Amino acid sequence: MDPMTFSIIRHRLFRIVDEAVITLKHVSGSAITNEGHDLMVSLYGADGSLLMGGVGFLHHLTSAAEACKAVIRKFGDRIGEGDVYLLNDPYTAALHTSDIYLVAPIHYDGKLVAWSACFVHVYDIGAMNPGGFSPQSIDIFTEGFSSPGIKIVDKGEMVQDVVDTILNMVRSPEMVMLDLRSMIACNNVARERMQSLIAKYGPETVNEAGAELIRQSEELLRARLLELPDGSWQSRQYLDVQGETATVRLTMTKKGDRLIFDFTGSSPQSRHSINCTYWAALGGLFAPLFPLLCYDITWNEGVIRLIEMIAPEGSVVNCTRPAPVSVATVGAIQSVNNAACATIGKMLAASDKYREQATAVWHANHFAIFKFGRNQKGGQSIGILTETFAGAGGASAFADGVDIGGEVPNPISRMANVETVEASFPIRYLFRKRMADSGGPGRWRGGTGGELAIVPHKAPDGGLHYVISGKGDRHPMSDGLAGGLPGGPNAYLWAKSGEAAAAGDDGRLPGGAQAVSWGVFPLMGEDALYVRWNGGGGYGDPLDRDPENVAKDVVGALVSADAARDIYGVVLSEQGVVDTAATDALRGSMKAERMAGEAA
Amino acid sequence: MKEVRSWSATLVSMPGKSGRVIACRACSAELCGTDASWKEHAVLRESPLREAAGATYRSAGDEVLLRRFYCGSCGAALDSEIALPGEPFLLDRLAE
Ligand SMILES: [Zn+2]
Repeated sequence: MDPMTFSIIRHRLFRIVDEAVITLKHVSGSAITNEGHDLMVSLYGADGSLLMGGVGFLHHLTSAAEACKAVIRKFGDRIGEGDVYLLNDPYTAALHTSDIYLVAPIHYDGKLVAWSACFVHVYDIGAMNPGGFSPQSIDIFTEGFSSPGIKIVDKGEMVQDVVDTILNMVRSPEMVMLDLRSMIACNNVARERMQSLIAKYGPETVNEAGAELIRQSEELLRARLLELPDGSWQSRQYLDVQGETATVRLTMTKKGDRLIFDFTGSSPQSRHSINCTYWAALGGLFAPLFPLLCYDITWNEGVIRLIEMIAPEGSVVNCTRPAPVSVATVGAIQSVNNAACATIGKMLAASDKYREQATAVWHANHFAIFKFGRNQKGGQSIGILTETFAGAGGASAFADGVDIGGEVPNPISRMANVETVEASFPIRYLFRKRMADSGGPGRWRGGTGGELAIVPHKAPDGGLHYVISGKGDRHPMSDGLAGGLPGGPNAYLWAKSGEAAAAGDDGRLPGGAQAVSWGVFPLMGEDALYVRWNGGGGYGDPLDRDPENVAKDVVGALVSADAARDIYGVVLSEQGVVDTAATDALRGSMKAERMAGEAA
Repeated sequence: MKEVRSWSATLVSMPGKSGRVIACRACSAELCGTDASWKEHAVLRESPLREAAGATYRSAGDEVLLRRFYCGSCGAALDSEIALPGEPFLLDRLAE
């Protein structure tokens, strides 16, 4: 096909997705969507296969393809022009019930030619706990409304009885309706732009360009895989829920033009809602694969063809119904994603050509904390602490990770302004800042995570409550690379009203504090909630880090003087200036001490 | 087969006395043959992560171990991993 026309159509497809994302953000009223960018829009072929992957949470690109295919299987000939289908059952295709897919067929001249699909994490889904993440759920039946495919718009008309039934089962139905409307609007924009593209170039040409795009992605990734060394690389991730540790184990094997992700040996499914289903695990490994291996390749079906996943049934990465999965996106899916990021990083680092594309693991431990209760305006509010999307960059072979620098699986993730949160919730931030020593040490340091504390403020009921689904503060999860160390782990503290502070307690918090990580807790009266999130992994030997960079980090309160000396081997004067002779001597003795050890 | 090729960011493989071997990238000291598990031939330092310096590691679980693998010849850091007690080493190998 004429390369100019191909290129124009390719770019138009990108822009269609971009415009649909903007629509989604502008219509939704939820902070998780328009502040945190917990969303996704993509275009799919007539058979539901991925045509043009969009931005947002990349876990969803392959799962939404499966959602389109499930709707095609279920509705077949009954799929009509202007229909919209809702699907959010994790055992059919979705990640968890609160991430609702709306998939819409795109017709031209009466013929089904493509699909658009999008998701947002809806305001509420009617699970045991408000906000969708439901740590107290014991099975899928307690995780709210769930559908393997239902029509909510019929030939352009809202199926009101169906929509009313859904809204009848959720908290804050007006906000959930706004979420549904944002997704309908998003799909409308995608459909109209696709139809005008087809009207301009003709259905055969657009179809041919789509097929060529998929062929091109497959060939480009195949060529890249053939340039990378054959081998196998392992990683593991621990998830801790109330003292029970589940492990995700991965062996990634690359042979010729094939890449196989094998999760054999991962823990059996958990009684806690950290599990994920098959489609969710598949999405979890593609989320880092697209940006790390296909940074210059269009994300579509062509990429998917070269990848294989083995996920044992009944395990934490392929659980069986009715296991609970509401915390999956910050649970097993994120661990799959971290594990895949680690093995892909090691494979790239083993290649002279691609070493500079390798990265240590980025922000690896989301914390889903949903505040809920009556706000200062008298209404009910439910909302996530969007700092979970602020992230931290992993270090690479040539640079530090970006402090509070986002995450690999969502290229557009971000956090809300403090003022925006304080305007809609009866809370006040005591502080929100970068966290010292959270970035994994290395020749190149992992980006720092952050820390924050909030207290109730002008709350009509004296405060709020929050649901917390932290998947563990015992284990660091952002692995280092090439001898670099992991980012520091998360921490969650509840400073209780009236509790006397003990020696060593954080003086910035009002009173004594205890760790919390799973369940529903109060933020009432004089309570405070403290949250610390992980930094990115470091790259290379910390003793090889330029001492001046260490000194700068100490001055900037990003690395403590203790860590500068004990991990980086850098001696600073009281003024924070590098003592070169003392640093050389200390590093020399640390290396000698390493060599004095016995082989394993 | 190239004389010296990358095995990882910190290791190379190269010809040895009897077949190809894995060696430290920094000092070329030989660790083991390419079919062996190199970590078993490196210096291992294993200690609770919470004892490593830095404010954030102190909150890690008591049982969480930081394993650091060093070159016995030059002391270069070759790799690190987080493990619970008794975990086998993560095994990374190239097909040669
Ligand atoms: Zn060496």
